[in-house]
Order: sequence, then structure tokens, then C-alpha cells
Amino acid sequence: MQIEIQITTLPVPAPLPPPPLTGAGAWVEFRGIVRGEENGQPIAALEYEAYLPMAEREMRCILEELAAQRPCLFAKVLHRVGVIPAGETAIYAGVAGRHRAEAFALLTAFMDRLKRDVPIWKCRALTADNLAKLQAS
Amino acid sequence: MRILFFAHLKDVTRCAELNLACGDVDTDGFWRKILNEHPGLEPFRGSVRLAKNSEYVGSDARFTDSDEVALIPPVSGG
Repeated sequence: MQIEIQITTLPVPAPLPPPPLTGAGAWVEFRGIVRGEENGQPIAALEYEAYLPMAEREMRCILEELAAQRPCLFAKVLHRVGVIPAGETAIYAGVAGRHRAEAFALLTAFMDRLKRDVPIWKCRALTADNLAKLQAS
Repeated sequence: MRILFFAHLKDVTRCAELNLACGDVDTDGFWRKILNEHPGLEPFRGSVRLAKNSEYVGSDARFTDSDEVALIPPVSGG
């Protein structure tokens, strides 16, 4: 399986085109977005940090391991770090497979593992005031 | 040994990394050294995983001063 991984402070573009792959019959995408509340309180943004390059390496290992059980053709993952405003994409994952079943299965399993093993953290929530001050500084 | 801290552990240690001479130590020895420097990490020991040179290691790991060791608190990406 071909794998592309990027951890970036830049906004994740939307939509991302599926790759031109011979044999692909399914292109399954997931976007995790920053929820506008944390513990019941409204927030304007979340700040993420990652342990690079371990986070990238761990994502690749997980995808390779999962692909051995659920053969797919291609996977692309972008995880944004830094300050991410509410409503924007924190993670994008797309998986191409010959059929939808293995692509959905791999994507679901990947997200489960990411949330357990990939060293990326939501390190603080920012209110609208905090975010405005940060953007002004 | 280069030791890295992330997320709330940085608030405990007030630093993102630390260079510490540990010699050749097992995980218990490593924790003794780090807790001697930062006793405030003790409550987090049970939930922290260790990574050596960007790879998770188990309780049987050994560390030397040439290693980069990261304290990985529960992750929350995605």
C-alpha cells in the first residue's frame, strides 16, 4: 500500500482529490474537526502538539500493519498541529481500496489506533478572547 | 541522555527537554533518575509510556546516555 503522511501547521485543503489508482473502486475519506466546545464550555480553538518524527513513524507503522490484514491501495493522512480554530480540520485521512469494505475497515481501525498510540496531543483549549490575543501578538 | 516532555508533563517539569546523565539503566533506574530531578512526575508514572529513539518500549527496556527518551502521556490526537 502506498502511504503519504504529513504533519503540518497549515490548514488542510478541502476537498482533496483521490489519487489516480488503477484498480481502485473506493475512496473513503474522514475529517476530524475541532469541536466548538470542551467540557461543555464553548471554545474558539484547540492547540495540538506532536512528537515529531515519532508521530509520523507511528502512523506509518500502524497503516502498514493494518494493510496486512485489510489490503488497500493507498492511504493519505494529514494531521494539523498548532492552533486550530473550531470547525476546521484537525485530521484528514483518505483510503483507497479495490472495494469499500476494506477501505472503510482500514480507515476505522486506523483512527482507533491513532487515538491510542500516535503521540499527538490536544494541549489546550482557547476561548475567543485567548485566540484573539494570540492572533494579535 | 536527552529526555523529552510533552503536553501537561511540560507544565510539571517547566521544560520541554532535559539532558541528564543516567549511565546504563533499566526502566526503574530511568524513573529513579527522572523523579529525582522532577518529583512532580510521580503521579503520572502509571499513565506514561516511554519511547526510546522514537519507538515505544516495554518495561524490559534499557537506556544509555546516547538515547533520546520521551515520556508519552496518554495521547489525544485526531
